[in-house]
Amino acid sequence: MKKGDAFEAKTLSPELQESLPDVYVDDLLVSIKYFLDEEQSHLWIEDHEVCERCLHKPCIYFCPVGVYTQAQDGKIQVAYQACVECGSCRVGCPYGNIGWILPRGGFGVAYKFG
Amino acid sequence: MNHEKIQFDAIVVGAGLAGSAAAMVMAREGLNVALVERGNKPGAKNYFGGAIYTHAIAEVLPDFMERRPPFERPVTQAGFWFLAADGSLTKMVTQGGKLKAEPADAYTALRATFDLWWAKQAQEVGAFLIPKTTVVDFIREEDGQVIGVVTDRPQGEMYAPVVIICEGVNNLLAQKLGLINHDLEPAHIALAFKQVISLPTETINARFGLPDENHGLAASVLGDVSLGLPGMGFIYTNRNTLSVGLGVMLSTLAEYQLKPYEVLERYLAHPAIAPLVKDGQLLEYGGHLIPEGGYREMPKLYTGGAMIAGDAAAMVNALHWEGTNMAIVAGRLAGETAIEAHQQGDFSAKTLAHYEDRLKEGFILPDLKQYRNFAHFLDTHPEFMGTYPAFLNEALGDFFSAYGKPKKQLFAEMYGALTGRRNLFQAMGDIISMGRAVMGW
Repeated sequence: MKKGDAFEAKTLSPELQESLPDVYVDDLLVSIKYFLDEEQSHLWIEDHEVCERCLHKPCIYFCPVGVYTQAQDGKIQVAYQACVECGSCRVGCPYGNIGWILPRGGFGVAYKFG
Repeated sequence: MNHEKIQFDAIVVGAGLAGSAAAMVMAREGLNVALVERGNKPGAKNYFGGAIYTHAIAEVLPDFMERRPPFERPVTQAGFWFLAADGSLTKMVTQGGKLKAEPADAYTALRATFDLWWAKQAQEVGAFLIPKTTVVDFIREEDGQVIGVVTDRPQGEMYAPVVIICEGVNNLLAQKLGLINHDLEPAHIALAFKQVISLPTETINARFGLPDENHGLAASVLGDVSLGLPGMGFIYTNRNTLSVGLGVMLSTLAEYQLKPYEVLERYLAHPAIAPLVKDGQLLEYGGHLIPEGGYREMPKLYTGGAMIAGDAAAMVNALHWEGTNMAIVAGRLAGETAIEAHQQGDFSAKTLAHYEDRLKEGFILPDLKQYRNFAHFLDTHPEFMGTYPAFLNEALGDFFSAYGKPKKQLFAEMYGALTGRRNLFQAMGDIISMGRAVMGW
């Protein structure tokens, strides 16, 4: 995968694109147990200007729990409360623009089944 | 304020499969071991699609069966399922023979219960479990020798002459220690996501052709499951749940702007899959990274005062679904090396290098070395995810159909169906590439 401005988006065939169902991720999130750290987020955008420059904003898509969304003003919003700490955004952001640390001990996702 | 220095004989970071194995081995030999876990309990952060291999468990805990491990089902059926976009499914599944039920070579499991039990075995021989504690850094001497860890607790320094890092796929501590000088590569890590789906035991038995709950299926699902892109699906039958999900290369998800939960929903709605999960209730959704970079992207495995094992060290053989076993065996070998270091009173890199020697003697490093090109092969040969599974379904469908036309014509059409997708030279090249990636040539 090319990083930074060289990141290239690819397109699916129209049939494949069409075959993807709309899923409301919140319907899935209710199944996950969290110990929420209400005091501090363990995720953050390093520099919002970099996000503005980012053409494809892949974080909005690849995050398995939809932590990243784009607000009406275009700004990337971070719903760290839903994070399952997989690390995809940490290494998948083409600009390395997502700050990522582990939640404080005991906080964050607590899988019941795994 | 003065406070007493907290000193252990060994510190293990992470109470997963590798960490608890290391702690168990060391505590049993009388070492004072701290097993530090960032989750509220062992297993809280772990998610897999999967199976636990008994050869690895037995190496650490020979009488494991008497300790009632929380296995789900023995894997008595295993194989590949090839899905095509037209709704067809071709199965290549083996059962019986070597896949016997008791004691089985592999059992399906769920990590929240299994890892808790596994850590408990370490606690029972004296390892001191410290949950809800995140290790954020190391304490090192001027020459770099690791002599302890810094946790996120107030006054959270803990000392030990040897630290075993089993932090999982996000190897932040390994990077901090300089064991590896680059981060994970999105083209060589799979983002795996799955649903745990509740169904009555009898329903699972009936739908998967299993005589009772002492029989289970583990299947890799290829083809349309990942939209023909680099990735692999799976289905594991548990006692009264199914683990159904898939792993797709993170770079693929990013470049095609795919939402994992939409890809998974599409998989569950496939005409051949939907009847299997029908009326099932979602118990848990989740996601986790799998380090598939293997040998080429392994960190250095030891330094003065520290060793690294499991996902943190990229110990995964993606094609064979192996990783849980490597973590357990590597954890054991790191623990044994720490015991040896204590006996010699020498925790330098020179002594801990024996950990790597041990990994070379067994299957872990030889296998990872042999499969060193596999991640690159998958990344560069999407045909094995798209073209070939689709062809296989079409060809078998034709073979077992009677259209009232001469077979000669049918075979010519099947041949055309292949060469229309991939010409013969390409197909031969693909097979040779796969051979090279698997055999390590």
